[in-house]
Amino acid sequence: MSLDDLKLVYVIGCFMLGLIILSPTLAMVINLPSGERFTELWILGPEHMAENYPFNIVSGQTYNISLGIANHMGCLEYYAVYIKLRNQSEPLPNSTSGMPSSLEPLFEYRVFLGDGEVWEKRPLFFSFEFSFGDGFCNVSRLILDGYVKDVNKTVLWDAENKGYYLMLFFELWIYNSGDSSFHYHNRFVSLWLNFTRTF
Amino acid sequence: MVLKLSNIKKSLVLLATFAVVLSSYFSQICVAAEKNEAQNALNNAESALASAYLAVFNAEKAGANVSSLNSKLSMAADWLARANNAFRLGNYDEAYNFAVNCFNIAKGLADEAEILMKEAQKSRSEKLFWSATYSSIGISFLFVLSLFGWRYLKRFYIKRVLKMKPEVIGEDELRRS
Repeated sequence: MSLDDLKLVYVIGCFMLGLIILSPTLAMVINLPSGERFTELWILGPEHMAENYPFNIVSGQTYNISLGIANHMGCLEYYAVYIKLRNQSEPLPNSTSGMPSSLEPLFEYRVFLGDGEVWEKRPLFFSFEFSFGDGFCNVSRLILDGYVKDVNKTVLWDAENKGYYLMLFFELWIYNSGDSSFHYHNRFVSLWLNFTRTF
Repeated sequence: MVLKLSNIKKSLVLLATFAVVLSSYFSQICVAAEKNEAQNALNNAESALASAYLAVFNAEKAGANVSSLNSKLSMAADWLARANNAFRLGNYDEAYNFAVNCFNIAKGLADEAEILMKEAQKSRSEKLFWSATYSSIGISFLFVLSLFGWRYLKRFYIKRVLKMKPEVIGEDELRRS
């Protein structure tokens, strides 16, 4: 090894040692980029598993699911979940354009979550009151988590899927401190419900 | 006499109708007033909660431990959601009460968060000061020691080179090297 090589090794060694000495201060000043930021939104069935979701609905009978949110945004976030009900002709949220459904929410939940925290509404009870006419089903009421809401939705017979279907869906909104309002967070979860007769 | 009685009857009927119309009018006014009151309470609660959130968010960014404030925020948010749900169902009285509950929790939070933020900023700047001081001392020592170290290392290297004995190598080996 020549003297120049030795000098180079020595300078590099000293530089590394200098970085080690400076690292506590640098860590306080430099913010390193964190991982991917996202929010989880889920619904689970009555046994808290992704199975046995309520599907065939009987008037007056109570069903339960779990609704959950997990924050991985790296900071405290303010969320709202809007619960909406649609038939097959009414609009869904648009995932491509990030637009929410234009339907009015029936209920809402609001929650603050720190980074890594999880919120879960478990169990979330719901039931419907409905009656059948000639080729249609009139859903008069939704009872969700103790709230009774007159929905008055008419569901027509779906000949292709053979049933009267409504979708109960949960949109996730997030508070934007920049313009002090909630924005659709481009996430929703849904349940297709088949309204059935009891004999 | 008969004419008088029928007149009285007529006026009674008119009076009753008038009373019914008036009471329905007033009840509508009352409902509208209740609705407005509830809406105002909701708006106040909403803005109080938003300011509290911003204050807590900034405190967290400054490095404060905001876990106790988070649970209060969640409680206030729950009241606000209930108030909004009650408002949607037309229960304006309930909506008003829930919104007031939310407002009462949220109004003190911004101040608490600001105190926590100031404490966190102070402790952070103290930490930064001491860390920077220790680092500067360390770097200065390293600089001085490295200069001395280099002189020592250089001397050691030269001594080692001078101690080396020349070795005679063949012409083939010289060409190869």
